[in-house]
Amino acid sequence: MTAALIEISSPKGAPYEFLVVFAVLLLGPVLFRRAGIPGIIGLLVGGYAIGPHGLSLIGAGNNTLPDLGQLGLLYLMFAAGVEIDLNLLMRYRRSAITFGLLTFILPFALGTLVGFALGWETLAALLLGSLLASHTLITYPAIKEAGLAADPAVATAVGSTVLTDTLALVVLAVVAGSVGGHKSSADVAVQIVVGMGVLTAFSLYVLPKLAGWAFRFLGTERSVRYVVAITAFLSAATVAELFGIEGIVGAFFAGLGMNRLVPNEGQLMDRIEFFGGAVFIPVFLVSVGLILNPSVMVRGETLGLAGLFILACLGGKQLAALISARLFAFSRAQSGLLFSLSAAQAAATLAATVIGFQLGLFSSAVVNAVLVLILVSVLASTLAGTRASARAAMPDGPRPLGMRVVVGVLDPDHALGALTIARRIARADGGVVHPLLVVPESAPFAPKPALQRLAEVVAAADVDGQVMTIVDRSVLHGALRVGRAQEATLVLVAEPGPEPAGGQRQTGESAQGDAAGGDGGRAPRPVASGVSSEREQAPAPPVALVRGNATRLGAVRVRLDDEELAPDSLAGEMARRVSGGAAQRLEQDHTDWAELLAPGDVTFVSSELGETLARLPGAGEGLVVSTVAEWLIREESAGDEDAPETPGDVRAV
Amino acid sequence: MSVEPTLARSRARATIALLALAMLALGCALSGCAGGNDGASGTFTPRVKDTLTVATAQIPDPGFWYGTFAHPTGGFEYALAKALAERFELKRIKVVEVPFHELVRGHLGGADLALSDITITDERAEHLDFSTSYLQAPPAIVVHPGTQVADVKAAQGLHWAVQHDTTLREALETQIEPTTKPLVFERQSEKLAAFADGRANAMLLDLPIALAYARESPREFAVAAQLPSEAELGVALPSGSDNVEAVDSAIRGLKSEDEIDRLGERWLHANIEEGSAEDIPVLRTEE
Repeated sequence: MTAALIEISSPKGAPYEFLVVFAVLLLGPVLFRRAGIPGIIGLLVGGYAIGPHGLSLIGAGNNTLPDLGQLGLLYLMFAAGVEIDLNLLMRYRRSAITFGLLTFILPFALGTLVGFALGWETLAALLLGSLLASHTLITYPAIKEAGLAADPAVATAVGSTVLTDTLALVVLAVVAGSVGGHKSSADVAVQIVVGMGVLTAFSLYVLPKLAGWAFRFLGTERSVRYVVAITAFLSAATVAELFGIEGIVGAFFAGLGMNRLVPNEGQLMDRIEFFGGAVFIPVFLVSVGLILNPSVMVRGETLGLAGLFILACLGGKQLAALISARLFAFSRAQSGLLFSLSAAQAAATLAATVIGFQLGLFSSAVVNAVLVLILVSVLASTLAGTRASARAAMPDGPRPLGMRVVVGVLDPDHALGALTIARRIARADGGVVHPLLVVPESAPFAPKPALQRLAEVVAAADVDGQVMTIVDRSVLHGALRVGRAQEATLVLVAEPGPEPAGGQRQTGESAQGDAAGGDGGRAPRPVASGVSSEREQAPAPPVALVRGNATRLGAVRVRLDDEELAPDSLAGEMARRVSGGAAQRLEQDHTDWAELLAPGDVTFVSSELGETLARLPGAGEGLVVSTVAEWLIREESAGDEDAPETPGDVRAV
Repeated sequence: MSVEPTLARSRARATIALLALAMLALGCALSGCAGGNDGASGTFTPRVKDTLTVATAQIPDPGFWYGTFAHPTGGFEYALAKALAERFELKRIKVVEVPFHELVRGHLGGADLALSDITITDERAEHLDFSTSYLQAPPAIVVHPGTQVADVKAAQGLHWAVQHDTTLREALETQIEPTTKPLVFERQSEKLAAFADGRANAMLLDLPIALAYARESPREFAVAAQLPSEAELGVALPSGSDNVEAVDSAIRGLKSEDEIDRLGERWLHANIEEGSAEDIPVLRTEE
């Protein structure tokens, strides 16, 4: 009777297939990491285990997983483009371009030679060369963790990635465009050149503008911003495919185009990394694992191919690292870092291999040989990175000014100008802006409506950082505490400026008095350079006040002396970033400078003296940015035994 | 400066260089770079020099094969065979006749490969090696024009003709479960004859074939519905054939170049990729 009532059939259908895939996503990396093997290998092996060559839980005719894998592949390339640090490329452009060319050309030449030596057709040999020439920064997180992110060799290798990956993808575009032989070489060349031109214009100019607009006008919700990013890379991939260029090239270019809009420490990047790392990219790796076939992999032919690929790839990468180290006088440890960062093969290599397989250029023996290469290169680069990190000296020197900017806000309605200035400063370094609502201890204040308003202003300013709140005695004090806890590179304090006569301040505190700790007219006191207290504290970041408000910025002027305009001066550096190097200079004794301020105009002034600070004009018509004297920062930081070394009493919203 | 570390470093470099050379030699030996002809996409070695020998069960087979075994003149699978031969740089194509039930048991009659509307299944893969699929082919219900098949219940009441040893017979028995015992035939031609003389009023065919019949003889055949299925056709090769890699790469290449789409449009007069038969309703079955 029971048997008639309960009928259990064998599992099948979409839920079962997704269950199998997600079980691999869950268990594959965990089990392999426990055995000291990179998680990526766990996903590949997991894909094999459930695939047609393994337990056949996902059959050969299944299209769902390969389709999802295709989306993951596009996502992977988008993430690779958006994560690249373009500032490092610019800062170390000479060494990055030299190393980028060497670490592309040498493995490319060796790989192509191997292909020709094996009797492969030209397109397959070129594709092999290009896939060995790219690299993925798998060891970068570990090297960054070791405090070596600012090392010139590390910056060189990271900066070179954009060049190697772009060149590798251009070769892929040419190869894919030439497959089939229906077109003449000239037709293929015209198609690729026009296609790449349109794609570059779309990805680097049109897309950032559209995305920026969407972020400002649609992007107050987190999910909307994420969907905008997804739509962006899918649209670039579609544009690429219109011209017969592989979609991954478009996705990578979209990443480069969106790079400045998506700061590495921002919330959007966090979301991109989260969903990419949790689902999309692992699904792609599992779908690659479906092709993995141990019976093919252990064949003499496959192992022979793998040996040749390893020699060509790692040999070329090592040679490039050695030559570059000699050219730029890097130490042996730095040479090891160059090799470690450029040797690992994963994203672009896998992408190009899968495309070569889909085009029918590569057999499964080649794909399996490349998988062996990936395994060996990941292990070799990890070992080399660990060894070189232990030997390399810690780089000294300050972090870029715009790396992490905290903007202290008392009144959200007066924060837009300061946030816009902060965004410009941060964008130059690919940094992030964290808005901070400071709730005064003394004032009766309901933070929720203010936080909601701040979130709206933050979206309007196209700022992507974490919105935080803190209860503190003053906005400067609160911003400084959070700035120290967050290891900020700059703290801006948004000053509302004096209200018209009879006006009521929402927050009930005098801005100037607040900023100056209630003693705006205090006499200057000489201080030693740098901030320290008896207790070991996190160093205080440089601070500037932004007075006034603006919906968009206009003319930028500086009223600074030569010393303040020096490259290492805070005020001069901020002015250069905000104006893009085109700030108009006013004479130091220009007395009517405040009258020049039109709505949206920004003037940078120096305020080494508390007295000057107290006499900042009301900038109802424009914005005034003033540095804060070190003695004042020290005063504000003094007696902070309760200062949060970690953001203990700071609440992220 | 100590001499020993320098010496040790020189030895280490020499060891690495020797290791690299050894890997190069081993790699070359294993992969056959010294005069080997194994291409990146695999190498096809025909049984008869310069000739691609293809097995199929039936000619003519509307849409797929036209002409005779001795002189095939066209059709989707014949054009596909020609494209493969061109890719493998073979000058001739020879077609051999092998009954379908023999083909699916792995007997290809000495042919290099079989192109005969063979659906890829795990059971058949025990006797054959398959390439990646070249065509989606869900089962389609073919009836006389004017016969309505609104749902499974209506389909169950029809008189069915089906061919032995085919995935279509399995689909009929598991997805439709007819109330009247179906007529089972060894050959497709016998099944068609039963349908033509009225012994049966319904049969299952692979969708692309069904569409070809309905287009060529609209007064005799109509496609009433298709069954939900992921069935796909693939090139069959003898089990353990060394040519699988090459055929597999060739099919992927033809697909990526849209050549298979072009052949489908020419011989099957339809876009044979997904959505090929959007106007043919899908019959909801429990299976």
